[in-house]
Amino acid sequence: MNAPFYKFDVFGDTAALGVAFAIGLGMGWFLERAGFGSATKLAKQFYFRDLAVLKVMFTAIVTAMVGLFLAAQLGWVDLSLMYLQPTVLWANVVGGLLLGVGFIIGGLCPGTSVVSVATGRIDAFLFVMGVLASQFLVGEAWPLFAGISEAGEMGQITLPGLLGVPYGLVVLAVVLMAAGAFVAAEWAEVRFGGVDRAAQPLLGAGWRARNAPRVLLASLAGLALLGMAGGDPYRGPRVVIDERELALLIQKEADHVTVDDLATWIVEGRMEVRLIDLRHPAAYAAGTIPGAENVPLADLPAAEIEPGERVVLFSQGQTHAAQAWMLLRARGMRNTYSLLGGMDEWNDRILFPELPAEPPPDQAAEVERRRALALRFGGSPRVEAAAGAPVAVPLPAAMSPPAGVAPPAAPIPTAAPVKKKKKREGC
Amino acid sequence: MQGSPRPYANPYLAGFGLGLVLLAAFVLMGRGLGASAAFSALAAVIVEWISPGHAAANPFFSRYLGPGGGLEEWLVWEVAGVFVGGLVSGLLGNRVRPAVERGPRVGVPVRLVLAFLGGLFMGVGAKIAGGCTSGQALTGGALLNVGSWVTMICIFGGAYALAWLLRKEWT
Repeated sequence: MNAPFYKFDVFGDTAALGVAFAIGLGMGWFLERAGFGSATKLAKQFYFRDLAVLKVMFTAIVTAMVGLFLAAQLGWVDLSLMYLQPTVLWANVVGGLLLGVGFIIGGLCPGTSVVSVATGRIDAFLFVMGVLASQFLVGEAWPLFAGISEAGEMGQITLPGLLGVPYGLVVLAVVLMAAGAFVAAEWAEVRFGGVDRAAQPLLGAGWRARNAPRVLLASLAGLALLGMAGGDPYRGPRVVIDERELALLIQKEADHVTVDDLATWIVEGRMEVRLIDLRHPAAYAAGTIPGAENVPLADLPAAEIEPGERVVLFSQGQTHAAQAWMLLRARGMRNTYSLLGGMDEWNDRILFPELPAEPPPDQAAEVERRRALALRFGGSPRVEAAAGAPVAVPLPAAMSPPAGVAPPAAPIPTAAPVKKKKKREGC
Repeated sequence: MQGSPRPYANPYLAGFGLGLVLLAAFVLMGRGLGASAAFSALAAVIVEWISPGHAAANPFFSRYLGPGGGLEEWLVWEVAGVFVGGLVSGLLGNRVRPAVERGPRVGVPVRLVLAFLGGLFMGVGAKIAGGCTSGQALTGGALLNVGSWVTMICIFGGAYALAWLLRKEWT
């Protein structure tokens, strides 16, 4: 299972908005069920009379935290792909305090205010207008806020990373802390809120009612313990690159090969070259460079490549290949190259080169060599008329099928002339 | 709107449900819940509608515009879902009614002014902290994000510190 699905391109941006709406539905439903559409109920949190805010929030946090931790340990979700808001210490402190002040003055927060408006609360409508007004204020006076919102940058950092303790241990500690907070909350509601637990049982009477939260917390703690056996859930490969070394290599153009070089290498067969086509499998199936294997870009990190192996990476244009080159170099693959111009250039220069019909004598040998090369790889040269305009010749479907490691010696005659589409890669 | 509202759900059960929704967001999207940025995007869209040049020149508004911004912003759709989800739950629980939520010792006009003021504070705070109770406290809390836990503690700290001063609004 490859999750988070959106990051693995299982669905696109438009579908993501549908997902957003569905997730919002769930969020709104449970916030309303919990009573968070009511400012008076929310505010009671701060007078120790009704601690539903604490209970709902911490139950949600421990549920999602343990669930995500376990999913990561089972290899279902890649935790390192989760978006982690960078920590900006002073911004978090000042912003947090302002949020707290707003919470007690307004009795709502941005999320709950939406639910409160939806259930007809007029005060919530004013609150929402306040939040909206604040955004105009922040936008117009952004220079005033820019400084504080960047004060104390610490980067993306988790509590286990900061404390240097195992992730699972912190997960377990948070579950136990939540359990402690819940016991205190139940006590406080009886003490300050005048709640009579005998008259107002949590879920109604009976064993299940009394013990459901306990069973939930005990299960979460047990699962956290179980997950601890799996070690560090962050498994994204981390590498260190030498920026200067790579910049120099790129500057002296030692990072790529031209299509002419590659064609010569293949024809002469003197060098072991591993050709990797980074495009989607469909593009690969439609035609590729002879001998190339298909490793879509997202699968590259998992591909087995020997550190000294000579690898040529190519995509439709050259951007993806150049980026993949960086990825492999970062992994310590020292003998990798990207193909300059990619498949587009291969088609233009090798398979279907534009050659003069009557070349001047000093170029005749070169033109003949290129013609032979095109035929060798199953293409066909486009012949230029004396006037300079290319003469349309029927082009055979000459893109080699991926299976054919050895390219055919002669062009394959096909009935339907293929109109050469110049598909430039957008990315 | 007739009959008495049904009682709220058990907070632990509601929290468990909310936690599963958050987990679903993690698994599907690789991100958590949020709310405040939807307001930023909405504000940016309004500014752009009034004066496109002004919005484009502003470093704050322009961040919420362009591809994937404005009304294509993920959180705008999520918050639209929150509205509908809250409405459906409220209707089923017979809890949708026009009202001004306030303590017994505060008048309607004062409460409405304070609600607007609270929104102002929260909107500014959320932009400085990098998220609100949903994006920072809830989402970052579950990811064990250092900044989120700092924010969460400060939210509760700020609210409790001022609770006594504002007791007439709520109790």
